[in-house]
Amino acid sequence: MGLADVGLLLLSFIVPFLILIFGLPPFLRLLTRMGKVSDDVHKRPPSKVPEPAGPMLFAAALVGEALVAAGFHSWIPVAVMLGAGVAFLVGLTDDLFVLGGKAKPLLLLLAGFAFVGVIAIRPDLYQPVLTFPILGDTAPHSIIYTVLAVVAFPVVANAFNMMDAFNGEISWFALLTSLALLVGVVLHAAYTSGFSLARVAATLPLVAVAAGFLIFNRYPSRAFDGDSGSLMLGAMFAGLAITGGVEIAAIIAIVPAILNSFYTLSSIRGFVERRKMLSRPTYIGGDGLLYPSTEPNAPNTLIRLILLGGALSEKDLVKSIIYLTVVACLFSFAISALTWVQ
Amino acid sequence: MKLAPLIGIEAVAFLLIIAETVLFFDFVVPLGPIPHSLTDYTGLALLKLILIIALVALWFVVMVGLTRLYVRSRIATAPKPST
Repeated sequence: MGLADVGLLLLSFIVPFLILIFGLPPFLRLLTRMGKVSDDVHKRPPSKVPEPAGPMLFAAALVGEALVAAGFHSWIPVAVMLGAGVAFLVGLTDDLFVLGGKAKPLLLLLAGFAFVGVIAIRPDLYQPVLTFPILGDTAPHSIIYTVLAVVAFPVVANAFNMMDAFNGEISWFALLTSLALLVGVVLHAAYTSGFSLARVAATLPLVAVAAGFLIFNRYPSRAFDGDSGSLMLGAMFAGLAITGGVEIAAIIAIVPAILNSFYTLSSIRGFVERRKMLSRPTYIGGDGLLYPSTEPNAPNTLIRLILLGGALSEKDLVKSIIYLTVVACLFSFAISALTWVQ
Repeated sequence: MKLAPLIGIEAVAFLLIIAETVLFFDFVVPLGPIPHSLTDYTGLALLKLILIIALVALWFVVMVGLTRLYVRSRIATAPKPST
């Protein structure tokens, strides 16, 4: 790795980070002037927060990935941003017009198709194998792997989207899981001969966007990303896990989000737009704390399960989610180390 | 420590995901001899489909079971606002 490579790696993190730091405040002022503000419903009385910040997140990620594509002459960022771009557009449509509960996952399949479409141009975009700790590689399974890659986009993007309910929840979650992803890709690169550095560099804009957005989204939030932001982050994560060849470690890192989606979908029996849920999983008490619903038909979200252990303020609830995510990311580090370190 | 049961559920979820993915790619996908007729092919495809559904169902049943156990143990003492 030469000095130019180190410079490119640094730039692919710093540039998107600075774009968010300096670009988001004027964008948030613009959103406020346009009346694009949402109630922060977990505050008493609800405060108004600009939403969606997703377009600025997408712009920052796009510039970062463009740098990687140009600097490393790589198609990986192109494929990742094609998938993330489609997810961003689906999310933006939902932010502006509200899509149905079933329409969103179906439209997100297009993100998966856009991503795997690039393999027609660059067959080395990803290897159709999974690598397990200790056991090593599976045999190549092009068709099954490609189908799973397409399906991964709606699944992961929706999982990220469902982790976007409280101040700082999505930004902490995206930052921690993208760091776990980065560790996996770095270990993969360090212990595999011929592994392209572009696969590592492509992960850095995601880390930068998550870190930059955390500054504005942490409690008390000054910005909400909207579905355009959370779906884009999820789609980027899915694409980078596939191109980095660290699918197993990536799945483990997002287990809290997978469980949250599973709980929600299994308890409400299908895809229902959250604004149309008949009963709420949690409610705010007169003391400002969040309580779990004890109604028998209340959806079993991860939040409700956490609150069954005791009422919490929004800030402490997000801390609990961070702890669960940290544990999952530690599992993910262990999986990455067991898989790649020889 | 209140999060310990949920961390346990998380660990079970991730161990099952790994174990079932290994089973899927190393045993279910390469299963059986090369089919020689359409009947063979259909039978093998059906068997693989059943095995895949069984793997998904196993994860589903274990997670639902663990969650119900957790909710039942906590719901009686669920916090309620004093006012």
